[in-house]
Amino acid sequence: MDLIKRVLFSKRMILGGGLFLLFVFCLYPFLTLFFKIVFPQGGFTLQHFEKVLNSKSTMVAFKNTLWVSVGTCLMSTFMALPLSWLLTRTNIPMRDKWRSWFCLPYAIPPYIGAIAWIYLTNPSNGILNSVFGEGFFNIYTNSGLIWVMGSFFYTFILLSLLAALDRMDPSLEEAARLSGASPIRVFFQITVPIIFPSLMSGILLVLLASAASFGVPAMIGNPAGIYLLTTKIYTLQKMGSMNGIFMAGALSILLLVLATLVLIINQRILSKNSFKTVSGKTSRPSLIDLGSLKTPLSIGLAILFVILFVMPLGGITITALSKIQGKFELSNFGFQNFTRVFFETDETPRALMNSFNLAFIAATATTLMGLILGYINKKTKLKGRSAIEILASLPYSTPGTVLALAFILTFSAGVMGIPIRLYNTLGLIVIAYFAKYLNFSLRTTSDGFGQIDDCLAEASRVSGATWWISMKTIWFPLMKPALMASWFLVFMPAFSELTMTILLTGPGLETLGTLIFQLQEYGDASGGGAAVLALLTVIAVGLINGFVKFISKGKYGL
Amino acid sequence: MSTVTFKNIKKSYDDLVIIKDFSLDIDNGEFVSFLGPSGCGKTTCLRMVSGLETNTAGSISIDDDVVSDPQNKIFVPPEKRHVGMVFQSYAVWPHMNVFDNIAYPLKVKGYNKSEIADRVREIVSIVELTGLEKRMPDALSGGQQQRVALARGLVMKPKVLLLDEPLSNLDAKLREKMRGDIRKIQQDFGITCIYVTHDQIEAFTMSDKIVIMNHGDIIQMGSPSDIRNNPINDFVADFIKTQH
Repeated sequence: MDLIKRVLFSKRMILGGGLFLLFVFCLYPFLTLFFKIVFPQGGFTLQHFEKVLNSKSTMVAFKNTLWVSVGTCLMSTFMALPLSWLLTRTNIPMRDKWRSWFCLPYAIPPYIGAIAWIYLTNPSNGILNSVFGEGFFNIYTNSGLIWVMGSFFYTFILLSLLAALDRMDPSLEEAARLSGASPIRVFFQITVPIIFPSLMSGILLVLLASAASFGVPAMIGNPAGIYLLTTKIYTLQKMGSMNGIFMAGALSILLLVLATLVLIINQRILSKNSFKTVSGKTSRPSLIDLGSLKTPLSIGLAILFVILFVMPLGGITITALSKIQGKFELSNFGFQNFTRVFFETDETPRALMNSFNLAFIAATATTLMGLILGYINKKTKLKGRSAIEILASLPYSTPGTVLALAFILTFSAGVMGIPIRLYNTLGLIVIAYFAKYLNFSLRTTSDGFGQIDDCLAEASRVSGATWWISMKTIWFPLMKPALMASWFLVFMPAFSELTMTILLTGPGLETLGTLIFQLQEYGDASGGGAAVLALLTVIAVGLINGFVKFISKGKYGL
Repeated sequence: MSTVTFKNIKKSYDDLVIIKDFSLDIDNGEFVSFLGPSGCGKTTCLRMVSGLETNTAGSISIDDDVVSDPQNKIFVPPEKRHVGMVFQSYAVWPHMNVFDNIAYPLKVKGYNKSEIADRVREIVSIVELTGLEKRMPDALSGGQQQRVALARGLVMKPKVLLLDEPLSNLDAKLREKMRGDIRKIQQDFGITCIYVTHDQIEAFTMSDKIVIMNHGDIIQMGSPSDIRNNPINDFVADFIKTQH
């Protein structure tokens, strides 16, 4: 009994089991996707790729994806670069507040933004168009698509730059000031070259995120006839025919290759150009006095914030409260849409229940897995532990559409030979969430373990505890903040996930994301229903973020 | 060559007082050390001369020009003060080679190429870096990086050279050699120097004048021999003794 226990709970066994699970959920589906497309009937063929490459509409989707992604990168960079400077290097009033406000879109699903901007600027009855005149703004265009994506994805670059700027030794810039260079000159000749790897890395993340984005192109692109790779894959898959699935699979592999290329470039930039800077004492960096520019720049920030945040949120709120859209009279406002969405249909309660259950299970499973793998990754010297991070990062960096398709092809009929029908069940959705978000947990827990000194557990081992007991009595209590953060960091995006769920969902399997999507796309002509749920999502995200920030004392959360 | 004058300097962050009432005259070509335990305000005083910190009250002048006087709303930004500074962390820019690091102040000021080349060559030989001009900083030792920082601080012939614990990241042997080198270069140039350190050996071997500080106050100032022979109180006696 004792021996069995010792073998079962030995570190090697746990690493082995962990790697096996990682292989099954993080690598095997992609291999399956590849083999099913290349060897459909046992023989090697490239016919599905040929079909995809010869189809005019997929090539257009390819081109659209490229243009929209590049446009989003440009917009994001132009927003994030000056913002990061203003928020770290100058004495702009309310710096810390602005910082967390401008980072907040990072936590909100971009499809909420798409809905909001449709309410604001759809050509016929958009709220802004009722002010500026019908057709003044038209969201259903390439630039509309870029605008909405950019207004969310700039946070990827901003967060990356803020971290780099905080880390940078302030005397590098001070030395340049004393050499006679003006603050702006210092920024472009010293700061930007030194943080360049972080900037590039942020830009490539945006490239990846926009190419993988589904909600925004589906809601804004599709009505305009602008298809991207993700929406094209979705359409092909929903055709339901085997041929459609094969075409979707081939297109997925192309998208995956594209994403992998971007990641490889990113890795090379980071490893080649990361400057190590010797930091001295941590003097508080001297802030640049904006002087008379303080007020105009503050007003500029406020305007940007209103455009990015207040206006879309206002659009959703007005729509949610309007009995009839486009009528701005006090008598037209009320909670009718709320009662209709919540009490007159059983879809909403079911979707909320499903989303909660899925996110709860996924968050709990990833956090437990993260705890164990994070420990092995950071606190042991076992061979093979470096494979953990690589395997876990695969699904995370894979576009959700591709991941979902691979999971359908791999696990529809069961997992590892166990014949459970997973297709059209919540089970398939939950394992997809698990694979996608495991990386969040792993990074948070590894980070947490990295900050706890080994000697604490060594002391417990010396006192006679086995590693399993020290895990329970020493590591687990000390790791609590990191574990809570990990749980919510997975729960939050999983609760409102759309990209993967829309492909995996079936009758009765609505989630918050797919319900909002369906209400917006087909069901609710007056638009109120989607707005109600979108508004609640934003509020929930805000509350959870505040809570995470509070429990982790500002370390996690935005 | 310039003089530096501190007149009734105060510095506080909200309720936290860093510098209480700091007055000091520094002569042309003088080498003055600010000596004291960490947190005594010596670095803050140094950074106020460069303009990287602002005093809350009082005035600072370089020669006859007031560079900071909050009561009269005078503040000259760092890039207009023409002072050189050497940082504890070296602050050698990792994306530029040795030559470009040292030449940067001259480029910013718009010197022409041949003049830049001449002056960099001269200063490089003074700090004994000849032959390393094309090296990138990550291929330099700590001592060499410190010499790059020193050369960059001197190349524009600043009015004052500020040194903020420049030797504390070097090993003991190298530190000893750099002490002599810095002092010699300072005397050859005849440049006014302010040197911040918590190491009393550095202060006593290099300085013309030592300012001993604690809790934002000047406790004693004078020549090294004055202070050694007549420490004003127990704190000074203790502080100059403990590190022997």
